[in-house]
Amino acid sequence: MLEVKGLSAFYGNIEALRAVDLWARAGRITTIIGANGAGKTTLLRAISGLVPVRYGEVRYVGQNITNLEPHRIVKMGISHVPEGRQVFSSMRVEDNLLLGAYLRSRRRSGGEIKKDLQMVYDVFPVLEERKDQMAGTLSGGEQQMLAIGRALMSKPRLLLLDEPSMGLAPLVIRDIFACLKRLHDEGLTLLLVEQDAQIALSVSDYGYVMRAGKMRMEGEARELLGREEIKSLYLGEEAVEGEEGGHGDKI
Amino acid sequence: MDFLGNCPQYIANGLANGCIYILVAMGFNIVFNSTGIINFAQGEFCMFGGLLAYTLAASLGLPLPLAIPLALASTAIIGAAMERLLVYPLRRAGALVAIIATIGASIFFKSLGRVLWPKEAYKVPEFTAGNISLPGATVSRQFLWVFGLTILSVTAVYLFFNHTKAGKAMRACSVNRFAASLVGINVMRMSLYSFVLAAALGGLAGLINAPYASYSMGLFLGVKGFTSAVVGGLGNTFGAVTGGIVLGLLEELIPGFLTVVLGVSTGYKDAVAAILLIAVLLLRPQGILGRGVVEKV
Ligand SMILES: Nc1ncnc2c1ncn2[C@@H]1O[C@H](COP(=O)(O)OP(=O)(O)O)[C@@H](O)[C@H]1O
Ligand SMILES: [Mg+2]
Repeated sequence: MLEVKGLSAFYGNIEALRAVDLWARAGRITTIIGANGAGKTTLLRAISGLVPVRYGEVRYVGQNITNLEPHRIVKMGISHVPEGRQVFSSMRVEDNLLLGAYLRSRRRSGGEIKKDLQMVYDVFPVLEERKDQMAGTLSGGEQQMLAIGRALMSKPRLLLLDEPSMGLAPLVIRDIFACLKRLHDEGLTLLLVEQDAQIALSVSDYGYVMRAGKMRMEGEARELLGREEIKSLYLGEEAVEGEEGGHGDKI
Repeated sequence: MDFLGNCPQYIANGLANGCIYILVAMGFNIVFNSTGIINFAQGEFCMFGGLLAYTLAASLGLPLPLAIPLALASTAIIGAAMERLLVYPLRRAGALVAIIATIGASIFFKSLGRVLWPKEAYKVPEFTAGNISLPGATVSRQFLWVFGLTILSVTAVYLFFNHTKAGKAMRACSVNRFAASLVGINVMRMSLYSFVLAAALGGLAGLINAPYASYSMGLFLGVKGFTSAVVGGLGNTFGAVTGGIVLGLLEELIPGFLTVVLGVSTGYKDAVAAILLIAVLLLRPQGILGRGVVEKV
């Protein structure tokens, strides 16, 4: 469904992505794990058209979408749940969700938008309870649900998720991943970025390991989980910091 | 004459000026909200509105119901051109560069105005001539237009930003531009719309601010509108209303008090805006209706 080939992206002269290859197959959950600063966020942003691609290409269902404007990429069916949630904090929860459907014509698909709104409320009932609250008043977990719900409102076929577990309590993380699993069962393709390798790989079909702007490893998720180097490097905070001490101290 | 006896007249004049300031302040707010820049050419939109109305109605003799919308539409087009030719190309350069560019645009517009309309003042036709006597005050009939059109504009702007899809999208840009582009909002398109809207509001302010218009009026109205926007709380529609009314009233009441009660000369009217601006920036930098902390993610 999504193919990334030889992708390089720069911040000024700093090469944040170096010839990255990636394949997210339709109907699968694909995960990219890697420590802070590895380039995971940059990769998702490059796919979404938010960071310019210098070399290489991004293909989505056979079409070249490299460096298209973000709104065109959303229109083609790729939705991005950003790192840090980025909800519209001083707007109502329901307005946040409806803005997710911004590119869909209300005249042509107003009924469908309503149905999708209800679908989001079914997946995340707490959002319906709080639909008239300002999004900024929600808890971290609720904001994450809102960010996912907002992304779903564009009716994507591919959902990009950037560290949905960040800063959340284990129970909340479990809830969110259960919802992701459910969305996947309903036919959505997911490309997930995580630092928490354990939970990410355990729901995924396929995994990549990223470090210093490059893909270092890939394989079936179950198989990656079993590998010794993954266990030692990415399953446990201390190991991660020890490994990334040289270049992982930047935010 | 005693000060209290004059008060109704001060208040009437203050409200009339305040309405103009509100319109200009809303222009500052709209552009600030969707682009993050302060458009220092906002006052020149007023100049174009007033002078184009003069040309269309007084020189070319078009009837007012035709001349006014045409003047507004032309001003809106000037706003659009400014956005496409100046702000859009600078979109990656950062807000500060764009703000400095708007100062350049302001100087350019003023020079252009001076070339096209060289006289010191042009008489813009009032919508309806004549005066009305109220208890304790006399106001021009134009005042009723100013008042009515300002209420209408404020209501329209409020409804647009809170109850239409395009308006909510523009608000989304102001709350979180990054997230706005994530949901597929064309952020630069919203920047264009904001300049169109701000230019039309400025143009309206300039042409109802009868009876005179000139190439130099932009600075004056720009400063007053900017002060009102900041005093009320930058980016906030009701802040613009509050700031405009407060500034308009204080500009009449303070010099009135100084003259009548203390016998000091009245040359201080324009200093009121400066003092108010400084006082607010020192005591309550987020403005009267501002939300305390600026939210950022
Ligand atoms: N806006 C930016 N400007 C400059 N450098 C950046 C910017 N964003 C990220 N970087 C750098 O790019 C590298 C990759 O960052 P990022 O993609 O955020 O990694 P991750 O999401 O894996 O933590 C890091 O070294 C980071 O410091
Ligand atoms: Mg990241």
